Amino acid sequence: MKYAYFPGCSIHASAKEYAMSANAVNKHLDVEFVEIPDWNCCGAIDAVYAYNPLLSVSLSARNLALAENMKMDIVTLCSACFFTLSRASNFMKENADLKDKVDKAINDAGLKYQGGVKVRHYMDILANDVGFDKIRQQVKVPLKGLKIAPYYGCLIVRPTGIQKFDDPEHPVSMDKVIEALGAKAVNYPDKTSCCGASLVITDEEVMMEMTKQPLVSAKNAQADCIVTPCPMCHFNLDAKQKDVASHFDIDLGIPVLYITQLIGLAFGIPPKELGLHRNIVSPDRLLEKLKETSQNSKPIHKTAN
Amino acid sequence: MKHNSFHVITDQMTDPSFIEEIKKMPGGSKILDCIQCGVCAGSCHARFAMDYSPMQVLKMAHLGLKQQVLSSSTIWICASCYTCASRCPRGLNIPAMMSGFKNMAMKEHVPAPIKLKPKFHKTFTEIVEKYGRMHEPELQMRLLKKTNLSSLLENASLGMRMLRKGKLKLQPSKLDPKTHFSEIVKKALSEEASK
Repeated sequence: MKYAYFPGCSIHASAKEYAMSANAVNKHLDVEFVEIPDWNCCGAIDAVYAYNPLLSVSLSARNLALAENMKMDIVTLCSACFFTLSRASNFMKENADLKDKVDKAINDAGLKYQGGVKVRHYMDILANDVGFDKIRQQVKVPLKGLKIAPYYGCLIVRPTGIQKFDDPEHPVSMDKVIEALGAKAVNYPDKTSCCGASLVITDEEVMMEMTKQPLVSAKNAQADCIVTPCPMCHFNLDAKQKDVASHFDIDLGIPVLYITQLIGLAFGIPPKELGLHRNIVSPDRLLEKLKETSQNSKPIHKTAN
Repeated sequence: MKHNSFHVITDQMTDPSFIEEIKKMPGGSKILDCIQCGVCAGSCHARFAMDYSPMQVLKMAHLGLKQQVLSSSTIWICASCYTCASRCPRGLNIPAMMSGFKNMAMKEHVPAPIKLKPKFHKTFTEIVEKYGRMHEPELQMRLLKKTNLSSLLENASLGMRMLRKGKLKLQPSKLDPKTHFSEIVKKALSEEASK
């Protein structure tokens, strides 16, 4: 299964381990990413969009046009890029005046967008194209005994006017992946709350209050780690976790993995290839627990055979 | 119930053309469909930091209170999480309207109660115009100039954390000049300005 891959800006910088782990996992699932040549910023949810909406939609349209030339669906790992590209595609459908202006802008770069590209998030690919059974079949180290808190965040499940692959109020796609890997998906409040997004730069106090909620809820639910499908959520929950803990004087220390890193562990891919050494909150305790449980489960396998 | 403030709305405060401007924004066509049910206000994850709830901002928009809307903290605090939009029983795209209000506020030089916000949007856009992609360290450096020493130190500690883990990309990416990305930017800027 081939897709026009839109990495997005974070993937090349703070979220490199997301791409590393996705690429490693893809090999086991017959998924192939063909990177869109010379892709540009998705158009940004609000930063570019509020400053110049036409520029933001034109940025999205350029990526969509480049993917259209490749005759494949776009796939992106980033929830924000997924949402921005989908929103632009929808705005161009419902607003002829905007579409006309965007056409003029991208025509100057020799591009034309006919409107035929499907924008998809990687979780959609896992849930609907790969399927949970295929994921289950690839598991070499079942994550038995691990309690995982899926953090969906906002933009992966919000309606874009185009299509949705999961329920915005009660999403299940990551829960099902977690269960397929042999772990337990814990139910907890705040799994679709907002991490605070770019408020991390512009109004940190507000962001801290927002980021605290899912971290505390997941901790209270006794999760061994949180998993997320979004680089922005990952940044706030992982890189900023130390600041949140000291700001509110609370004990956190909960590892935050990309969903692809968790899948990779269950597939028996070495942690280094999954970029786990790059996560800021150390996942060591999680890895030790996994080692213990997999050692304990080995004799059972032998008797069963 | 005690109200903290009581506003008398006068003709001087209202701008009847405001609602027409909103209808033209992407996502703004349904502004008058709002039934003031309060689902957006109850759903908003950032409501605690706003002066008016999203529902109140929509009512203010209905009344033509343009200056009050554009100077509210609400439009800048909105994190664009789209929870309100996914729950709105009338299908209003509230966050897209919040972005549209920010756009108006920046164009009309209405001071923002969150000082860094307009600068964030402007700087972010300029970096994307320059490279075609975001370059996070440059964004941080350019925004830091305007803030205080303690936030500088805190950011330095985060920066070190990121650097140690190889999460800082020091060189910006650049697009292939043969693909004429800058033409798109030029055209979009001139179209937007001519509106």
